[in-house]
Amino acid sequence: MKALILTGGAGRNLTPFSTTRPKAMTVVAGGSLMRRVLNDLREVGVTDITVVVGQHREKVTAAFKDGEDLGVHLTYVEQERPGGIADAILRARSRFNPGEYFMLVYGDVVTSANPFHQALQSFNAFKGPTACVCLPGPPTARYGNVYLDGTRITRIVEKPTTAGLGNYVLAGVFVLPVDLFTLVEKCGGDMEQVFGQLVREPGLSASIWEEGWIDVEYPWDILAANRMVMDTWEEAKISRHAIIEGNVTFTGPVHVERGSVIKAGAVLAGPCYIGRNCYVGNNVLVRSYTSLGAASLIGYGVELKNCVLFGNSRVGRLSFVGDSVIGENVDIGSGTMTINENMDRTSVDVAVRGEPIDSGLAKLGAFIGDDVKVGAGNTLAAGTVLPPGASVPHHATVGGR
Amino acid sequence: MCGISGVASFHPIGDRLYEGVRHLEYRGYDSCGVAFLNDHHLEIRKDIGTVDEVDSKEHLRQLSALVGIAHTRWATHGKVTKENAHPHQSCHGEFAVVHNGIIANYKLLRAELGKAGHCFRSDTDTEIIAHLIEQRFKESGDVERAWVSALRSLEGSYALAMISTHDPERIFCARHESPLILGLGSESNYVGSDFNAFIDYTKNTVILEDGEYGIVSKDSYSVKSLRTGEVVDKDVTVVPWDSELSRKGGYPHYMLKEIHEQPQAVRSALRIGQEEIAAVADMMVGAHRVQLLGVGTTYYVALLGQYLMAQLADMDVPALSSDEFRHLDKSGRDSLVIAISQSGETYDTVMSLRHAKERGAKTAAIVNVMGSSIARMVDRVILQGSGPEVCVVSTKAALVQMILLTRLAIELGVRRGTVSAEKRREYEAALAALPGEIETILNEKSGLIRAAAYRHAQVQNWLFLGRGLYYPIALEAALKMKEVTYIHAEGMPGGFLKHGTLSLVDDKLHTLVFIPPPSTGELHSMTMSSVEEVRARGGFVFGFTFNGTDDIFDGRLALTQTHELTAPFLPLVAAQLLAYFTATALKRNVDKPRSLAKSVTVA
Repeated sequence: MKALILTGGAGRNLTPFSTTRPKAMTVVAGGSLMRRVLNDLREVGVTDITVVVGQHREKVTAAFKDGEDLGVHLTYVEQERPGGIADAILRARSRFNPGEYFMLVYGDVVTSANPFHQALQSFNAFKGPTACVCLPGPPTARYGNVYLDGTRITRIVEKPTTAGLGNYVLAGVFVLPVDLFTLVEKCGGDMEQVFGQLVREPGLSASIWEEGWIDVEYPWDILAANRMVMDTWEEAKISRHAIIEGNVTFTGPVHVERGSVIKAGAVLAGPCYIGRNCYVGNNVLVRSYTSLGAASLIGYGVELKNCVLFGNSRVGRLSFVGDSVIGENVDIGSGTMTINENMDRTSVDVAVRGEPIDSGLAKLGAFIGDDVKVGAGNTLAAGTVLPPGASVPHHATVGGR
Repeated sequence: MCGISGVASFHPIGDRLYEGVRHLEYRGYDSCGVAFLNDHHLEIRKDIGTVDEVDSKEHLRQLSALVGIAHTRWATHGKVTKENAHPHQSCHGEFAVVHNGIIANYKLLRAELGKAGHCFRSDTDTEIIAHLIEQRFKESGDVERAWVSALRSLEGSYALAMISTHDPERIFCARHESPLILGLGSESNYVGSDFNAFIDYTKNTVILEDGEYGIVSKDSYSVKSLRTGEVVDKDVTVVPWDSELSRKGGYPHYMLKEIHEQPQAVRSALRIGQEEIAAVADMMVGAHRVQLLGVGTTYYVALLGQYLMAQLADMDVPALSSDEFRHLDKSGRDSLVIAISQSGETYDTVMSLRHAKERGAKTAAIVNVMGSSIARMVDRVILQGSGPEVCVVSTKAALVQMILLTRLAIELGVRRGTVSAEKRREYEAALAALPGEIETILNEKSGLIRAAAYRHAQVQNWLFLGRGLYYPIALEAALKMKEVTYIHAEGMPGGFLKHGTLSLVDDKLHTLVFIPPPSTGELHSMTMSSVEEVRARGGFVFGFTFNGTDDIFDGRLALTQTHELTAPFLPLVAAQLLAYFTATALKRNVDKPRSLAKSVTVA
């Protein structure tokens, strides 16, 4: 079976990270969402994969090229301007043969286990169009509501108006007939109509996903997804090509990749991830759910807690970074403090496209885009967002209410 | 309890033997093994673990044999070890046996065989059977005569299958108080503890009775009486179940699948002919004393039945737990005992029915599995037709049993003049609306229940409170929670609180209260006062409520108001989902909780 991955969406709610990359290139637990999808697909034997790429397509193509390193064969189809799912699907039409089934995958979803295995098993049982459905964490009106009768989907309400319903939703993994392309065309690219038609004829069956599932929509979803993936880790993995100095303490599932240096006195509490060629300085405290992308440089005495660094960034000595996400090529000066809670312990608001949105989280730090420079001795208020390329002078205080 | 499968075929049997025993895993899964004949040699592969685990170590599927038997074990005699796993063989490896049940006189037989020079490799009661057959074969030189002679010496319960190097094309099998059936395929015949062992290959079965034994080869079978040795003429039963139905389909677990099958299962229960229900109601009217029997979940079903009979039909029908029944049984010729069992093989219930029958009582039963022991031994059976229930934790079967008892109570009320024709129509309309109401919960509340389950998954102690009809519901809900999550959950009537339990309440103990609809008046207000009592002592209270209930809870799930008769079933479905999602949050083995088996066929 062939697969079609959609990565063309603009993902505007994921700023500052989506300003410079497709959502699928967001990093959790040491790897991009896209890399996880490709690995999972290869694991179930799906290797002929078409990827629809949009803005910042070069980030995808540069990372995966023809897919050979991951054991898959990738073909890229370009979607110049974001034109919705239907437009993306139609662009890939020529890659698929009529009469067959293919797997349709949304590239911005993170799961705690391989969802394609179950999708294929269910498809084999149903021998017809299959959609994975799941219950999103807290019920939300963000997704369409699916109504089930056994495993038959009876209707999909795309934009639910009744608040507070705990319905199943489409999980972003489908096994569909290639004839779908004709249907999409006939429906004028209206996906609501397409699914409505599928449900009526020939019918759409549900494969119920009960493992973890997170749609990375807002920047704090990166932290939740990172935690969900790391919670599946059971063992420590230390590369034999890493240099671990004396008096370093590891507890729990700590992953350290090749070429990294962990200096004396560092304490690493798993689950945590140290990518390739990182430098973790003396007396650094890496607390659980921290993910350091390749070539991260952590100075003396820094404390990191529940944070994701995409890679190639520097955190200067005696800083604290907690409950935060930091893009690529970021330089954080020494003695910088991310404040990760409001004084009154209320949940933290984050500015998304200029509007403050309640994250629902009592502990949340800063979201720092690519190529940002933060001077020494700064305090970043809870929920601070720094756009790519921003520069903060020494001894400034950013954000705060 | 254990599972047995066997295949004799023109073609290699490795995959079928493995699949057969894998589909019986719900009967037990602490160890498994296969025995087969290879070139006139007996070979055994076995170990501890689930069928898949043993297969990866022992390669159960990779064999070219044409005759073999297999077993999945749930330990009763002897620890869970490789030696104690079945099949067991005789001293010289000429006979291999698999067994489900308990041999009562095994110590005696073991001593006798020990004296005759037999050496034992395991602590099981089963191994002595292989040695016993070998011993009798030495005397007679004929496998069938040795088999019959050995069976006659056994006391206790058994379902057995045996193969021998001296008769390499046939499987010998027999049953006494444990289930065993034959499957008749094309170019292959099968033996199994139940249909699941071979339903992928054939739907034609012959059901063995106590005191009969069968001989199965690749192209023929015969069933004989153990007492006379004469051939018994048996009917071939065609199993109506679709094998696809007994698989998971698109669900991650059988439990969730079976919860979602409830609307359908209730619909088919409502389609069961009026005359079937009426026949049992007539028996109840004619009896001087009527008792409801069940154990575990089915005891709570019976208890709900007791409330229904009292409230709808003004009749006192006590519910008794069948494991205690023999200590209380005062039934006689004018008594009626109504048993409830999903599998129809539940040991305690079978024994209780037998006890009551000996005292001359009439018997009836609500059973899911057709052709099961209970279905055949009672005077009148209502087959609930809920389809196979595979998850060890009973959901749809229990709900359907409750629905059938509701129908029975209505029917009884009509006969006793407590239910008018108008009331009856009202009740029937309420029942007819129930499947749709359950669908609404499954579709629109699942996410809310899952979120609550994940929020409270770390709670170690739960009180489940209910009053009236909601009391047995609370008990059943607490049992679901215990079984599948391994969390302590105690069901009790709301009135018990101030008689002791209140002293347990602190901020760590969570309480789930089943609140009847406000329209129930006093029942509603009395239950609400239980909520106040717990909250006043700092306890966390989660409520399953109906719309229109004052929100005095720390957390709650509001269900849509419905008829008072069917209202209790809605929070039960919600509680099933709560138990299921709590179990997945805690990564429990949902379909096969530790230490439990689907139908308990041992004492």
